[in-house]
Amino acid sequence: MEVRSTALGAAMTVIAGALVVVVTGAVLSHSSAAAPALTAKTNGTMNTAHGKLRHATLSISSYPDSMAGEHGADGGKHPDWVSYGPTTTYDLPAHALVSVTIRQYDSGERLNNPFFATVRGTVGGTMTLNGKTVSHVSPNHIGHTFTLHAAPGDQDPLFVSVPLPAVPESVKPTKGSDYPKPNVIRFSFITGGPGHYVWNCEYPCGDGYYAKFGGPMSTRGYMSGTVNVG
Amino acid sequence: MTITTSMDDMATRTRRFWLRRDVLHVVGLWALITVAGVLFSIYVPAHLMGPPASGTMREIEATMTAFSIAASPVAAVVWAVALYSLIAWRHRGDGPPETDGPALRTSRPAAAAWILISSFLCVLLLVWGLAAMGSVASAGTTGNPMVVNVTGNQWLWTFAYPQQGGVESDQLYLPVNRPVEFHVTSVDVVHSFWIVQMGIKVDANPGEITRTAVVPDKRGTFDIRCAELCGLLHAQMETSAHVVPMAQFHKWLSANGGHP
Repeated sequence: MEVRSTALGAAMTVIAGALVVVVTGAVLSHSSAAAPALTAKTNGTMNTAHGKLRHATLSISSYPDSMAGEHGADGGKHPDWVSYGPTTTYDLPAHALVSVTIRQYDSGERLNNPFFATVRGTVGGTMTLNGKTVSHVSPNHIGHTFTLHAAPGDQDPLFVSVPLPAVPESVKPTKGSDYPKPNVIRFSFITGGPGHYVWNCEYPCGDGYYAKFGGPMSTRGYMSGTVNVG
Repeated sequence: MTITTSMDDMATRTRRFWLRRDVLHVVGLWALITVAGVLFSIYVPAHLMGPPASGTMREIEATMTAFSIAASPVAAVVWAVALYSLIAWRHRGDGPPETDGPALRTSRPAAAAWILISSFLCVLLLVWGLAAMGSVASAGTTGNPMVVNVTGNQWLWTFAYPQQGGVESDQLYLPVNRPVEFHVTSVDVVHSFWIVQMGIKVDANPGEITRTAVVPDKRGTFDIRCAELCGLLHAQMETSAHVVPMAQFHKWLSANGGHP
């Protein structure tokens, strides 16, 4: 009888432990769920160096606060944190030419690694900055970067990095807007097969945190996100 | 006469000890676990570390194997005694045992043997380890090494080739059999530059340059990781090292605006 109750107690302990692990995992998984994805709009095909490919467009922005992105009009928990919008999760088609437009509203300073002042991984190794084609910008006045990468693995490699020059702080907001006239950056790149990638900003823009690498730089949903190619 | 009798008694006691059923079982168990440990040491750790792509990595794997083999009989003593005790001397029945077990007695020969064998193993491993560290430290420092500046930042590695026209890349390209010296730093937090199959791992500290060297002697694509937890996307801070023939390396340099 005593042996049976001991065995029952041991079994209950194991089950209770397993339940704690499952509940903790579920809570953590739910709390770190990705924001609603922005799906690139597909519109026909285009001729590229890789042949005729589907063409998709994606339009995003980088802001000096969190009130225009996925955190809502009140900015959520950290309205003064810099952020990308309208979301930080993007869905792109596989084996396609993707044309991206980024409206950059934020000010900035010097990149701490000038490597990211050069356009990398785009079609022709260039981007347009307010209509002008460039392959490199000064690392001294960068607002943010959009740098897309992934750990090597079974999926196709994808590395794209474009610098987003800063808007001078002296520029006033335009009439009827909280933000100044943005720098408009356009570039295209070609996706491979289906895969899961990450992107982040390489300009240390977490003002008020250690070496500017905390806060929005180290929290999902601000200056980093995911890209699903499929 | 007294001394002879005493020594005879000790020899008799020792013989009886080794012929005890429990001792024979423990020795048998120790032999089995030792053999299993040696086989595990020979085949598993080095296999898990992957095929080596440099002499440095081969030396590290040999060290790992030798240390594991040396540790096997020592670990087997602990496991054999523990396992046998758990099975054979387990108290069965309700409640605690009514009497305590026999008291432990000091055995000078056993203590001496334990200290001597342990000391010998420790000195052996120390000498071997220091020699291996010296060999790793000197790798690639001869034969006009090519310098590669390695910069870690959240959450990418970047590589610059100052002797080849300042070519920059997010992936590492190296010519096979050419000594390479890495100058490693970070522009934000502490990272750790790790070329897995080459046995190279060194901290990347902000404001400091740490140096390490290697001679990659196997063509192929290898893994580069950050081995220091460095923030949100630490798990994605990986890239590839491509070890290619010299002609292909020159071609890559030219395609990226550099020169041999």
